[in-house]
Amino acid sequence: MRSLPTSVGLIPAVLLAVMIVMTTGAEAQSPAAFTNDIRPIMERSCWDCHGERMRRSGLDLRTREAALRGGSLGAAIVPGRAEESLLYRMVAGLEEPIMPRDGDPLTVAEVAAVRAWIDEGAHWDDGPTAFVDNPSDVLAESELPPGAKDYWAFKLPVQGPVPVFADFEHPIDRFLEQTRRANGVTAAPRADRSTLLRRAHLDLTGLPPTQEQTAAFLADPDPGAWERLIDQLLDSPHYGERWGRHWLDVARYADSDGFEQDVDRPNAWRYRDYVIDAFNQDKPFDEFIIEQVAGDELDETTHETLIATGFLRAGPRVNFREKDNPERRYEYLDDVIATLGRGILGLTVQCARCHFHKFDPIPQTDYYRLMASIYGYVETEVPLVPPVEAEAYQRRITEIDNQQRTLRDQVAEIEDPYRERLRLERLERDFPPDVLRAVLKPETERTPGEQLLAAQVLSLGVPRAQLTAALTADELSRRKALIDRIAEVGEQRPEKPPMAEIVTDGDYRFTPDGAGDNIIGCPECRVPPDVQGSFLHEGPGRYEVPPSHLLIRGDPFRPGPEMSPGFISVATYGDPPTVIPRSDGRTSGRRLALAQWLASAENPLPSRVMMNRIWHHHFGRGIVATLDNFGTVGDKPTHPELLDWLAVEFVNQGWSMKQMHRLIMTSDAYQMASAYEDADNLASDLENHYLWRYRTRRLEAEALRDLIMATSGGIDLTVGGPPVFPNVPKEILDSRLFGRWDVHPDGPDVWRRSVYVYRMRSIVFPFFETFDLPDQGVTAAARNVSTVPTQALTLLNNPFVVGQAELFAQRVQQAAPNDVSGQIDLIYRIALTRLPTEEEAAIARELVDARSLVDLAHVMFNLNEFLYLR
Amino acid sequence: MSHHCHACHKHERTFWSRRDFLMQSGGGIAGLALAHLLDREGLLAAEPQSCNEPFPGALGPRPPHFQPRATAVISLFMSGGVSHVDTFDPKPALTRYAGEPLHGKVDGNIAVRQGLPGPLMPSPFSFQRYGESGIEVSELFPNLAQHVDEMAFMRSVFGRSNDHIQATYEMQSGQIRMGFPSVGSWVTYGLGAQSSSLPAFVVMTDHRGGPLGGPNDWSAGFMPATYQGTRFRSSGDPIVDLEPPEGMTAEAQRARLDVLAKLNEKDMEKYPGNSEFAARISSYELAYRMQGCAPEAIDTSSESQLTQRLYGLDNEITEPFGRQCLMARRLIERGVRFVQLFHGGAGNQNTDTWDAHSDLVENHSLHAKESDLPIAGLLTDLKARGLLDSTLIVWHGEFGRMPISQRGVGRDHNPGAMTAWMAGAGIRGGQVIGSTDEFGYKAMEQPISAHDLHATMLHLLGIDHERLTYRFSGRDMRLTDVAGTLIPQIVG
Repeated sequence: MRSLPTSVGLIPAVLLAVMIVMTTGAEAQSPAAFTNDIRPIMERSCWDCHGERMRRSGLDLRTREAALRGGSLGAAIVPGRAEESLLYRMVAGLEEPIMPRDGDPLTVAEVAAVRAWIDEGAHWDDGPTAFVDNPSDVLAESELPPGAKDYWAFKLPVQGPVPVFADFEHPIDRFLEQTRRANGVTAAPRADRSTLLRRAHLDLTGLPPTQEQTAAFLADPDPGAWERLIDQLLDSPHYGERWGRHWLDVARYADSDGFEQDVDRPNAWRYRDYVIDAFNQDKPFDEFIIEQVAGDELDETTHETLIATGFLRAGPRVNFREKDNPERRYEYLDDVIATLGRGILGLTVQCARCHFHKFDPIPQTDYYRLMASIYGYVETEVPLVPPVEAEAYQRRITEIDNQQRTLRDQVAEIEDPYRERLRLERLERDFPPDVLRAVLKPETERTPGEQLLAAQVLSLGVPRAQLTAALTADELSRRKALIDRIAEVGEQRPEKPPMAEIVTDGDYRFTPDGAGDNIIGCPECRVPPDVQGSFLHEGPGRYEVPPSHLLIRGDPFRPGPEMSPGFISVATYGDPPTVIPRSDGRTSGRRLALAQWLASAENPLPSRVMMNRIWHHHFGRGIVATLDNFGTVGDKPTHPELLDWLAVEFVNQGWSMKQMHRLIMTSDAYQMASAYEDADNLASDLENHYLWRYRTRRLEAEALRDLIMATSGGIDLTVGGPPVFPNVPKEILDSRLFGRWDVHPDGPDVWRRSVYVYRMRSIVFPFFETFDLPDQGVTAAARNVSTVPTQALTLLNNPFVVGQAELFAQRVQQAAPNDVSGQIDLIYRIALTRLPTEEEAAIARELVDARSLVDLAHVMFNLNEFLYLR
Repeated sequence: MSHHCHACHKHERTFWSRRDFLMQSGGGIAGLALAHLLDREGLLAAEPQSCNEPFPGALGPRPPHFQPRATAVISLFMSGGVSHVDTFDPKPALTRYAGEPLHGKVDGNIAVRQGLPGPLMPSPFSFQRYGESGIEVSELFPNLAQHVDEMAFMRSVFGRSNDHIQATYEMQSGQIRMGFPSVGSWVTYGLGAQSSSLPAFVVMTDHRGGPLGGPNDWSAGFMPATYQGTRFRSSGDPIVDLEPPEGMTAEAQRARLDVLAKLNEKDMEKYPGNSEFAARISSYELAYRMQGCAPEAIDTSSESQLTQRLYGLDNEITEPFGRQCLMARRLIERGVRFVQLFHGGAGNQNTDTWDAHSDLVENHSLHAKESDLPIAGLLTDLKARGLLDSTLIVWHGEFGRMPISQRGVGRDHNPGAMTAWMAGAGIRGGQVIGSTDEFGYKAMEQPISAHDLHATMLHLLGIDHERLTYRFSGRDMRLTDVAGTLIPQIVG
């Protein structure tokens, strides 16, 4: 348990001891105590004198062994017996010399933590990793430690009784009030209505209220106005854009592959739109998960459910001969497992790839059973047209390909005799003599080294111009006729139907060449798989998943026993099926079984994890602050009973996310003021862990760009469709080798909402990068919020921002021509959802008179009040 | 009261003083309240006099774990992959077995990135012994070779991927995946900033663009943007959006900043204890200072002719990288903690980077010529100014190259071995650490991973790599993950 620091100061030792007894009783020991609680204390207070630099009294506290060995005064630690351990006695002030000699004494909570840690055996949990090399030992390690399921996050959530407080009606408020009282803080009053209006708009849609919306809400005194506002916002298509974006962080969504070639994913956006639509339709969260993990395996698949599987393949790909490089395939599988783990289960399952998870009860076998559940997955494309049309298209394409191939063969017949000679000429001209010598020798006479050289230059091309120059007039005209014919045939090629990038079962070893696979131009270099098979299941019979093995130490080249599909044992209740056979036999049904388990109310994690994410976005901090880690080293819930109550409520209300928004936003807590200070509260809970006021928070990168454009009036609110490419400085574009970024000047056609901005993995859109866009390579936790001068520079000097300020000023001038104070009022109403105070109006007026309205409009974009949701 | 920045700067900008900022803009009770808050947050202190001085409210320096050997790093990243067997790791066996397959002479399959493996190929470059240490350097680096007695060569560095980007990520962050903070970010996180008028971690890229991997190479990964590298351009305004766009005068900006300060200050009355708001207000002051100080920091025109020649600014081949090396010195003089220069750009990968697939002689001759004199000049200059002992210079690429030929003219990627060198930071020069096998195919004695390099770099900066952790996803993450061994010959 991480507690708030409370300085021990001058508390007498006796009283201290009493407090310690009280504290330890209440605190459960977690196996991560060393990393979380003890190590920071050691770093600050012990290791300067008992570590690398010096070892006072001969004591080294860096390792367990050394601490047990002790120094001149004897062993520092007696595991299991804090009262007999010198380390504890000295930091607790029970024995002289009191430690640490320099620096602040340990806080009450820290002393308690040291005691608990020693009593529990003084485990150093970050010793060298215990790899298990023997496959049978790995299998033997698959047993869960006793009591593993007793940890709060692995128990099924239950709704306990809602506490009763006369002043609070809403269940959320009653739970919160209980914790507030226990921690000596009192709730802030309600925020004013225009603050609430702006808060609800920015929170649910990411857009500020319009003038009309503001007027209507402020003029509606009815107590039901707030509920109606929430409903209106939830009905807006912009709700899905805002909340879908949160999920896209989890999905590590981008529009390109990443790495060297950073290949474009021309249809990735369909998955992005699927997510936005899912939120707008209030698709139940369990269905949402099932479609994303196994949308291709459902009893009834639709284009929508197929597109949903884009979730699995949204991560980065090297895109260079995956099929010849098993280590890459395993990286991708790991990416999927890490995303399912951190994203849906709130567990760092990927840590069990090479060894038993260090902190959580996840054996390596769980990892590889999960891998077996997804092992069959391959990435492919499907046309988004009726099957008959798709088949007709495919037939036509094959016909045209065949015709063109025949023609190309005829061209080759003309060229090949020359090609050979020209290749030799090129070898003679551009290469050292040993290469030519090797090629000229008869194959049987070549030395082994010459064989290598000759093979290397086999695929060497000849420039087209040289070939053309070598051909006779007759050959040239024959060739031209053929080439014209190829072009003619090509013109009949039907337009490609819209495609979706999906995942289904198959055998990745037979993946057809894709972008990046052929770039080096050496198809003959491929090592074909030593089994028969096909990329997608072609029948007859049922599809079989290729064998998937446990990997010793996670090494792709050290396969252990073959694994059967399965889940995370510690979070599994009952006996859920690990395979749900599909009647068409085209896929294995393993992912469907996994998906159902991932979205099950019998799984203790998904409802809690998603509920916590929703809470986080409404309140700026999760009940569990580590959104993606509910394991033992994640943060502990500040309100465990509330989290469980909400998780059960979520399931009871049909996994409806919109219902959860309504529930949360109608609480008093959501409507508290953020501008509220109270000395007692601050003294008891400086960080506002117990939610005694609303938390202010800087808008995320995308929301900030959207807010600027919405305020200026320039925003294009079209929903959905292919990505847009806002202007990026030339030198940034020039820095890339490959990949797609369509160059557009800044202008209204790219002023779409930020969720539609092309996500290129190798080049992050600079405005977003400056404002803490998370890495797009892995599933993201809560966003970072930094405050750095480059953000100020962007808002001050970036041509886009300055241009939007000009537009904003124009808009206001047109609305209130020749009325400076009217313009100032309007600027405030649009930018901040309120009127200026007299003082503010005077300051603004001075600026506008001395300079211009543009200056004031630009200032608005830089105000704290503008940049923060509050 | 305000102070003039260096007169060399084109705008001759005045500093925005704290007192101006707080009092001139409204003053009164709210001003006092804000001043009090800034003071409580340690954001208010004495007035800075110049670009070199610490500025309150910036990242600020953080104490190292122990006495550091160096306080700044200049990292020279040779993008594309330098061939170690043609530069710092001579292999006579390549001549002896020229034209023979490597297969059979070493264990396992020979895996190349492109096409099929060729036979062993001798270096087209001759080697010679230099200095008292007699360390061999190829003819590619005649100037750098004069410094061998100051350089510690690590011939046994190895990586895990033959993909440029993955390999670059590994050298930068220890991980072949994106999403992890780069070594420059870790150093900034660990030690904070010595200068507040300049970013703590500055990256300069090749004039041809690039490098491979793009901005992810200097990303802060899961850490806040505070720690990410800031790209400096070598001409024009060094930082994107540093100066107001065309049509907006410095005066207009100043007027807007003043009103912004006044209005934000009014707002602080409602949030008197909100330190994040206070920090953001302060960040505008920092930004304003940066506008004055950053252009001055990289303005090489005030350097003497002699110095400019030392870096090769008088020669068009050495000028681009020479200018960056000179800028690097100016930046660390001004308190920048970590400067990273990428040599090797985008465009034509074969000719614009060290990626010598198709013509080793042409490729390496060009890139060595571009960088040899400037790096030698940097070492000479730092030494002459007494800065070499407090500055760590690190040089490496993302992988080495194959001892076998690619079509008789080039060499393919080889993550199995590469040479890196360090200088400065009081490191004993004139030593060779580790070795590769007879052919330079794989690291043999004392193999050195990126984690080992990073652990060693941090150690020289006074940081224990096992104690420098950042909590992410419920885990205390380290630059060196769960590995990293100090290189005793460097830290000893």
